[in-house]
Amino acid sequence: MPVPDHHIIATPPPFEVPPYPADVFAGQTVLVSGGGTGMGLAMALAFAQGGAQVAVMGRSLEKALEGAAKIAALGVKVHAMSCDVRLPEQVAAAFDEAERVLGPITLLANNAGANFPVLAEDISVNAWNAVTRIAIDGTFLCSTEFARRLIARGQGGAIVNNSAQYIWTGFPGDAHSAAAKTAQATMTKKMAREWAPYGIRVNAIAAGFFPHETSTAGRREGGTEVLQNMIPAGRTGSIHEFGWLSAMTCTSFLAGLTGQVILQDGGESLRRSLMMPDYVPPRERVDGPWGWK
Amino acid sequence: MVEGDCDVLVHVVAPPQVKPVHELSHAEWRVALDAGLDQRFHLARDFAAGRRAAGRGGAVIFVGAPEQALGSDQAAAAGALVNLTKTLGVEWARDGIRVNAVLSFEQGETLGNLVVYLASDYAAYVTGAITGVGLDDG
Repeated sequence: MPVPDHHIIATPPPFEVPPYPADVFAGQTVLVSGGGTGMGLAMALAFAQGGAQVAVMGRSLEKALEGAAKIAALGVKVHAMSCDVRLPEQVAAAFDEAERVLGPITLLANNAGANFPVLAEDISVNAWNAVTRIAIDGTFLCSTEFARRLIARGQGGAIVNNSAQYIWTGFPGDAHSAAAKTAQATMTKKMAREWAPYGIRVNAIAAGFFPHETSTAGRREGGTEVLQNMIPAGRTGSIHEFGWLSAMTCTSFLAGLTGQVILQDGGESLRRSLMMPDYVPPRERVDGPWGWK
Repeated sequence: MVEGDCDVLVHVVAPPQVKPVHELSHAEWRVALDAGLDQRFHLARDFAAGRRAAGRGGAVIFVGAPEQALGSDQAAAAGALVNLTKTLGVEWARDGIRVNAVLSFEQGETLGNLVVYLASDYAAYVTGAITGVGLDDG
């Protein structure tokens, strides 16, 4: 059903008007994993709007290059690299390369992730390993590589992790990602505490649904339109507002913010009561954005 | 009470003196719950009513100390406030009224900047969110 006309929908300013000055990250370099597309690209663009140089990392160099071109259009220096964040040698090599080209990295966005709807009993070992290790090992390896370098230089910095609202609720039909994203959020708090003495802040955004060209949901017939009325906010998220909040946690404006997992989901995860629609077990879902038959 | 036209309600309750539970009278308990919970609810309700009457959205930001390391009275109030924030955030979502809370021991710039963000349209997709600033449990 469409959102009734008399409902008031809060909407963000357009992409061209970021919430911070164009030089808030001047002289700094951010590394964004999975930064070539989707939410990672939104993060990268948001950092670029604040004047950061951007190292874009992707499994596929081609996608990283495509994203890099869009980021460079904002007038910042960009470098694209391929990297499998599950492999420590590749992560270290990517940091070496990025720092050689752009200079010291002081900001990190852990976004790399994989996700697709599947029944728990149908998750193969390979699929489980891919989804959990990209998020958990990837975040661990990139964050520790980042922190070791900053600590050695005596330099502070900031990390932001792309988490998900379903870390608090579970996500039936998505067990691998539910587990992975929750581990990542817990890690956020632990790393924040350990690295606070070094001036390294670590936060995460528990994101709701921000449709983009590479997201699994919303590609069905009817697109994302059917989702709008399911969400208390009356709409799915605009991807640039996710990028902005991510980047903003890394600005000096929020210098006292660390160890936080900030919910940005339009109330989606909080919408629970006996007024919900009938429950349909994942294996019986045919239609809808998270159905798969 | 809320009078006149305003788009944003920021309600701050400063961290109170901590008193051991066995020394806490019922009157003291009531004072803490009144300041930390009841007054917040009544103000937010009046504010939301005004916004609805005006046909416009708005933002509510509750600021206070986290429930950890407080007296039992404040802990109860802060815990209740967290769930009140989540509830109102959803209950008023389609009025375009967002409700968030910031829990903090400090009064520094990060707190102020975060509140300004939550009050702004930049936080249009943030509601029912509880964020801590300057806490010792990061």
